[in-house]
Amino acid sequence: MALLLRTFARQGVCLSKPQYSFLYRHAAPMGTTAKDEMNKFWAKNARLNRPMSPHITIYQWSVPMMMSITHRGTGVGLSGAISAFAVAALVLPGNYPYYLDLIHSLSIGPILIGLAKFGIAFPVSYHTYNGIRHLYWDVGKGFKIPEVYRTGYTVIGLSIITSIAIAMI
Amino acid sequence: NTHLGLELRLLLLYSDHTLKLRRLCFLGRTQVIKAVHGRLLLQPLQRSWTPETHRCCCCRCCYRALFYQSALLARPLVVPNKYQEQPHLLTARIHSSQALYAGSDSKAASLHWTAERVLSILLLAMGPVAYFSPGPVIDYSLAAALTLHGHWGIGQVLTDYVHGDTKIKIANASLFVLSTVTFAGLCYFNYNDVGICKAIALLWSK
Repeated sequence: MALLLRTFARQGVCLSKPQYSFLYRHAAPMGTTAKDEMNKFWAKNARLNRPMSPHITIYQWSVPMMMSITHRGTGVGLSGAISAFAVAALVLPGNYPYYLDLIHSLSIGPILIGLAKFGIAFPVSYHTYNGIRHLYWDVGKGFKIPEVYRTGYTVIGLSIITSIAIAMI
Repeated sequence: NTHLGLELRLLLLYSDHTLKLRRLCFLGRTQVIKAVHGRLLLQPLQRSWTPETHRCCCCRCCYRALFYQSALLARPLVVPNKYQEQPHLLTARIHSSQALYAGSDSKAASLHWTAERVLSILLLAMGPVAYFSPGPVIDYSLAAALTLHGHWGIGQVLTDYVHGDTKIKIANASLFVLSTVTFAGLCYFNYNDVGICKAIALLWSK
């Protein structure tokens, strides 16, 4: 019995002895940053000429997905519009009221004007309201799926109402 | 305790789902040494159930014996006397090394994230101010905030979709040039022309 126990002890205890803990004490993975890891991933797959797996072409679209990409789309669009405006201000001769009168003289009907105003107001208001929703997520709230949908529909509704109201000013 | 200097440890799972680490003593009785709740002890545990369920002679609850095992061993652990208080510390030592993070100490990315959110909130506040009290101060503030918010936003888009060291460098450099030109153009507009707030007001009065 004693022999049996001693055999177990000899085989079993080796690494569990505290004096062996120095072997695994600093058993941390090799030091790389997340950025390095990501770059390595892309470099390897590009080097091996691997095709990308289908993702947005096969995954079923959902409202949160569409709202997210719309937020990005409106953001990029608005940024581009602001940059275009700034470049135009630097490059074009004449001042702002001059070009405004130019557009006035084109005699565009009120419906088209309203549509154009809606077209400007909607990206701004959608991006703003969804931005607030993002900030709400950033403080850690509203991640449950029903909440995501509820806040999402609220943003869409508010955006449409605000845009129509602004377009009618 | 025992004259052999060895003792057997059993992890007993009771019918009320409590776990107790018990020491099998010389006289064949068991002594509770630790009531185990936490994950720390169980994490590396390979459970090997003994088939029989026993009835405790004193308290009449039933228990099943689990031999305490660690991932390092594949057999019951028989721990010599002087290490008797240590087993949970072994696992603690293995797992605490995961807390050593790999990579640099820099908080730059985290601070950037926070700055982005602060700027967004600032920009939100500027909306009503621009509406209710337009003027050159809010014009230039809006120019700066809009440009920076757009710059950081497009920066995130580039980070998501552009891969490869050279391509990333080129994309970020181009973005920097674009943002600089945008800010310059907006400031020029504010200085030499009607200004952002007035421009929107005029556009809407059409």
